[in-house]
Amino acid sequence: MSVSWGKYALRGFAILAIVAGMVLGFVELIPNGLASPTPRVALDTSRIGPREIEDLTEHNIVRDYGLAWQSLAEARQQNRTDLIDGYFTGFAHDDLRQAIDDQKRTGLRTRYIDNGHKLEAFFYAPGGDAMELRDTAQLQMQVLDGDKVVHDENVTVQYLVLMTPGADRWYVRVLQAVPPSK
Amino acid sequence: MRTIFFACLTLGVCLFATYSAHAAQLQVPATVVANTAVNIPTSGSGHATFYLIGPSHVAKRQVQLGSDIKIDPEEVKDAGRYVAILSTGDTGAFYVVASQPAALGFLDHPSRVPVAENNAISAVAFVMDKFHNIVLSPQTVTFQLTVKDAPPLVRSVTSRNGVAWTLVSSTRKEGAAHFDASLGNVKVERVVQEVANDPCNLRIKAQPTPNGVLVETDTVRDCSGNPLPDGTIVSFTAIGPDGKSTVDAPIKRGVARTVIPVQHGATISVASGVVIGNEIHVGGGGK
Repeated sequence: MSVSWGKYALRGFAILAIVAGMVLGFVELIPNGLASPTPRVALDTSRIGPREIEDLTEHNIVRDYGLAWQSLAEARQQNRTDLIDGYFTGFAHDDLRQAIDDQKRTGLRTRYIDNGHKLEAFFYAPGGDAMELRDTAQLQMQVLDGDKVVHDENVTVQYLVLMTPGADRWYVRVLQAVPPSK
Repeated sequence: MRTIFFACLTLGVCLFATYSAHAAQLQVPATVVANTAVNIPTSGSGHATFYLIGPSHVAKRQVQLGSDIKIDPEEVKDAGRYVAILSTGDTGAFYVVASQPAALGFLDHPSRVPVAENNAISAVAFVMDKFHNIVLSPQTVTFQLTVKDAPPLVRSVTSRNGVAWTLVSSTRKEGAAHFDASLGNVKVERVVQEVANDPCNLRIKAQPTPNGVLVETDTVRDCSGNPLPDGTIVSFTAIGPDGKSTVDAPIKRGVARTVIPVQHGATISVASGVVIGNEIHVGGGGK
């Protein structure tokens, strides 16, 4: 009887090991190529100043920041600098372009699986020509060398964001990750 | 059966081991000042591939295990999060933070402003280091508005999250005002054109002419005494037995004038923008 129970325990362990292996293996081998969806963005404007945010601006910031991250994710995954032209400008644009050029040169890609952004707007210039925000981003970041995943992590990153208005949208002008708040 | 069992078990364990290996940590500093060299110690022997993934820089190179990995200053000049990865599975992440302030991004608004307006000019300065990273530590930014023949208006503001801002009133004298933002040796200058405000004490006088009545203003000035610019429209309105007629005339050399045909007497008034001036009553034939 005890031998029989031992056999069942071994079989159970084997099945668990196989399932664990398959799940973890699947995580390593997620296929490429799906266009990333627009990430979820929640905007808190309760501490904004000195200018009050307009309803339309609030709506546009959420839309454009989400689209900026979508284009960033696609650009860094596909190594296409043209994808960042729509929502990045200034130093943020230059930095991203440089990173993508480096990725191309080294045969690397970065894949972001975006799990959402909590944006807090804290400065809106009196003239309405700049807004500074802090983003707490939940990201899964994978680094691929060719098709091989060499790094995979789930991470929460805080970004200092400077956005400025264009003709029909807000552009990300600075996107600077900052050490976690103490 | 036993062989299949061990094969599956081995596969599972291998995949788990591969996955778990990602959690191994490289000894990297938590934060690094921009443009500072970083050394990352490694253990073991042989070669491995090292990857550095940053906000503006991505690198891949072979390194010797057991020796320090050297990251050059120019590889970490942009602030942000950097991930260091070894092909052995060791990883580490660190943040690069801005170095000393060395540049200001300065926005002023508007570029033209009426004189003597309260808090009419906004100034926003972003504090950056020489690599254009936002400096988050508080810094004192000095704003100074200077017009000719008047003492400068100076405000010192401590930056917060890399931004310092203030509102200043325009001066009482029209002309080009120099608006500076400075921090240490860094100074950025803008020019704000201060222009005359709405007219003040708008007055007209009249004299008969063969064709009617010539009406003209005194020199049109704002309440601070600045003459309004040429081209500003002044409206003359005549109301009399013949009805109502309005003539718009631009200011030329400080004065607006026009001839209004008046046959049977009229009351002539003047206005510019929202400001209304005096009235003049003229008799028949413009007398």
